[in-house]
Amino acid sequence: MWPEPLLQSSPVTAEDDNGPTDRLSAGLKAPCPGMKLRSSPRSVHRRRGAAARFVSAERRRQELRREETFIFYVSDRKCACCGRWGEMERTDDGSSATVRNPASSADVITGGQQVTCSGEGEDITCAHHCNPEGPIRSCSDVTETGDHHGAGLNITDDVTSTSHTDRTSSCSDSKASRTEGSKVNPRHELDGLCGDGAMASDSGSQDRDVTFDLSEVGSDDEEAFVREELRAGQSTPPTTATPRSSNTFECGRRQSAPSKLGQDDGGGLGSELQSRRPGIVEYFSSRKQRSVSHCVPGWKLFGKVPPRQSPSKQARIIQQEFEARSSPTHHAMGQQSRRKVEFEPLSTTALILEDRPPNLPAKSADEAQRHRQQYEQMVAGAKRRELKEAQRRQQQREERFRQEEVIANATLVWNQNILPHWDSMKSSRRARDLWWGGLPPSVRGRVWSLAIGNELNVTAELYEIFLSRAREKRRELSETESVDAASLSDRESSLELITRDISRTFPSLCVFQKGGPYHDLLQSILGAYACHRPDVGYVQGMSSIAAVLILNMDEIEAFVSFSNLMNRPCQLAFYRVDHQLMFKYFGAFQVFLEETLPRLFLYFQSLGLTPDLYLMDWILSLYTKPLPLDVACRVWDVFFRDGEEFLFRTALGILRLYQDVLLHMDLISIAQFLSHLPDEELLSDRLFTCISATPMLSGNRKWSQVLSSCRDSERSGS
Amino acid sequence: MQNNHHKEHLYKILVIGDLGVGKTSIIKRYVHHNFSPNYRATIGVDFALKVLNWDQETVRLQLWDIAGQERFGNMTRVYYREAMGAFIVFDVTRPASFEAVTKWKEDLDSKLTLANGKHVATVLLANKCDQGRDVLTNNGIKMEQFCQENGFVGWYETSAKENINIDEAANCLVKHIIASEKDMLQSEVPDTITPQLEKDKGGTCSSCFRAQ
Repeated sequence: MWPEPLLQSSPVTAEDDNGPTDRLSAGLKAPCPGMKLRSSPRSVHRRRGAAARFVSAERRRQELRREETFIFYVSDRKCACCGRWGEMERTDDGSSATVRNPASSADVITGGQQVTCSGEGEDITCAHHCNPEGPIRSCSDVTETGDHHGAGLNITDDVTSTSHTDRTSSCSDSKASRTEGSKVNPRHELDGLCGDGAMASDSGSQDRDVTFDLSEVGSDDEEAFVREELRAGQSTPPTTATPRSSNTFECGRRQSAPSKLGQDDGGGLGSELQSRRPGIVEYFSSRKQRSVSHCVPGWKLFGKVPPRQSPSKQARIIQQEFEARSSPTHHAMGQQSRRKVEFEPLSTTALILEDRPPNLPAKSADEAQRHRQQYEQMVAGAKRRELKEAQRRQQQREERFRQEEVIANATLVWNQNILPHWDSMKSSRRARDLWWGGLPPSVRGRVWSLAIGNELNVTAELYEIFLSRAREKRRELSETESVDAASLSDRESSLELITRDISRTFPSLCVFQKGGPYHDLLQSILGAYACHRPDVGYVQGMSSIAAVLILNMDEIEAFVSFSNLMNRPCQLAFYRVDHQLMFKYFGAFQVFLEETLPRLFLYFQSLGLTPDLYLMDWILSLYTKPLPLDVACRVWDVFFRDGEEFLFRTALGILRLYQDVLLHMDLISIAQFLSHLPDEELLSDRLFTCISATPMLSGNRKWSQVLSSCRDSERSGS
Repeated sequence: MQNNHHKEHLYKILVIGDLGVGKTSIIKRYVHHNFSPNYRATIGVDFALKVLNWDQETVRLQLWDIAGQERFGNMTRVYYREAMGAFIVFDVTRPASFEAVTKWKEDLDSKLTLANGKHVATVLLANKCDQGRDVLTNNGIKMEQFCQENGFVGWYETSAKENINIDEAANCLVKHIIASEKDMLQSEVPDTITPQLEKDKGGTCSSCFRAQ
């Protein structure tokens, strides 16, 4: 057993010795520095080096005479289990694991193998469930897997040790993992291992005796190690003193996993591995049970495990596990990493049921019990939340899959049944139903183009003609711009307006801005259209329409569809800003608004909120401005199926959807709200539910009848 | 109780000017304190509300962001109604937009007069001053002269991007609106006064009015 004062007064401070990781893990579990030191394997290494100075040469010689040496230990923050959680594979039996460390050439296989240690004349087997091999930083790294987890389930521990040795390298590298007892002369099957510096432990069931010959140990580190042993020996003389026969090796590391650890630490790695799936509760309950034995602080060398060691390792493991797995759930439930299994509760928490530090009175049984219960409750709560979250995600995923499937099926129907027989199928019930649900993006452009038609007989040649005219004009414009830009206002300056507006067309998509892939295309289509229809010219709002078409069709198709779309009576009225016609549309809309949403109609009237304040924007942008693009596209789908009436029906649907909200707003807020509708989850479905609940019937009259009566009354009125 | 009698003013303010001079940007900067180079073109009209504390009174500014394209002129002119003030904005990097200022001002004055027959308070904003300066705006005296000739109550070089002078310009406009409102009230008094009203008026404080 190590004298506590020695450890604490060791020249190595926790600060320089332990990396942040160590401190973190140690700090989490053991608030007192002394514990921290003990708990950190790295610090042990350092201490050894420091301790060496105090050991006499004589002692050293004695030590060197010993016939055997054992090698072991790697204490490192990369420690097997801690560092590599994510890559650890759990084997079937749950008791052994292979850790694959990409940085290391060695795969360590552990489990089931017995190693006889000569340390105290007792055979010690450490169960290694996992032997993590740190990256090979120096060849003298020796990994002793037992040391961290040392968790044998039985009294005989199975030990797998990995060692690679290299004389020339010293272990003093502070950054690398620490290795101790660098010189190893393996007599047995370890030859290959030593050569690589990697150690593959023997396969499970076969017992092996491994002997290391201490006589060849020569490195500084080894000296240091020996000295340290001596120091340790002062308090626990039997530990290291006796030389051993060959075929044994000493498990002499503080960190090594002796039988005691195995007993105390029954949970060990194996249970940790198991705990990954069932949750951490079991893990902690197993910890609970062994907590009593941990009350005795101390260190053992060569064959004995320092009882403190394992808890500290556990703390690290827990800490790392906590960091790696649980912190997302603990701190930010929503951000759980995707790669995790959906339904696996990712429970864990920073809380560790831990005994108090030795300098404080132990918890009473009641208190411990209470803490345990509280802890379990918290864990259970966390688990429940995780489960809920996982279920929610699962649902979302299923929903997405379902939608994808629906889209895939719809695409098939469109491509195979409807599009090839467009004229006969477009009005069929099946097509119309499918259409209402939204067009699959892959056929959207095609369907739009067919549905819009080409009444104007716009051809590719025509497009080329107007395009070249637009380019010519643009060139002229750039030459004369400085001279009389002001006189170019009106229609002539359409081209300048286009340039100005293109940069602010769907800015978030970043495809229409200068340098973007569709900038020139959008400019071409709008410019050609302005030349094609100088009576309409370019009107703000058109850039969004053309942009949406470009996103779904090729250039010619987009131009044909665009010019035909603009030629529809409603569009023509609005883009020409034909006052009278527009107000007829608004009038007809008011009739339906009063009919379908009388309360809102009256409220709007009381505020003086006329439909032009929102409808102008909605119609001119064809809903690309108030609605998110995907929802707007779905509106377009049905607009091309049902015609202009659907634009006004959509408006009624929007007002119905938000009626309750709108009834509590003042004029400006309503106007603001309606010009930028909130982008909500499932907006599309909810909106279409509202739209379908809004039949375009006023009494017995349809939209077209109401509209024409508005026109008639206007005519007779004037 | 006294709080209830705090006067609350609601002013409708138009923001007009050529297309793309930065009207929406100015409003966003003023109301939401942010700037994005990518506001989408305003179609028809957009709205914003700004609440100010003014001499312990609350001033609510309804900002009407009117589309700049002339095509919408006929349509948007109806929105001028009942406005109490206006910003006319031009882009210092585009002389044409400055030349359009007089057109906008004439349009505004022809469509909108206050109850006392005067024109609404209008402030001229030379926006995008961070991007370089128009020759004109470099000449302060000339600009002052321009403002006087065209009936602007003031002008400011502004930048929505760099947040330059936006608040100052708005304060200037509000100040003039309040002044013209008082002016209007005074000029209205002789017409509308009745002995009773006079009596009520005597008790300047609105709570007295209530108490009676």
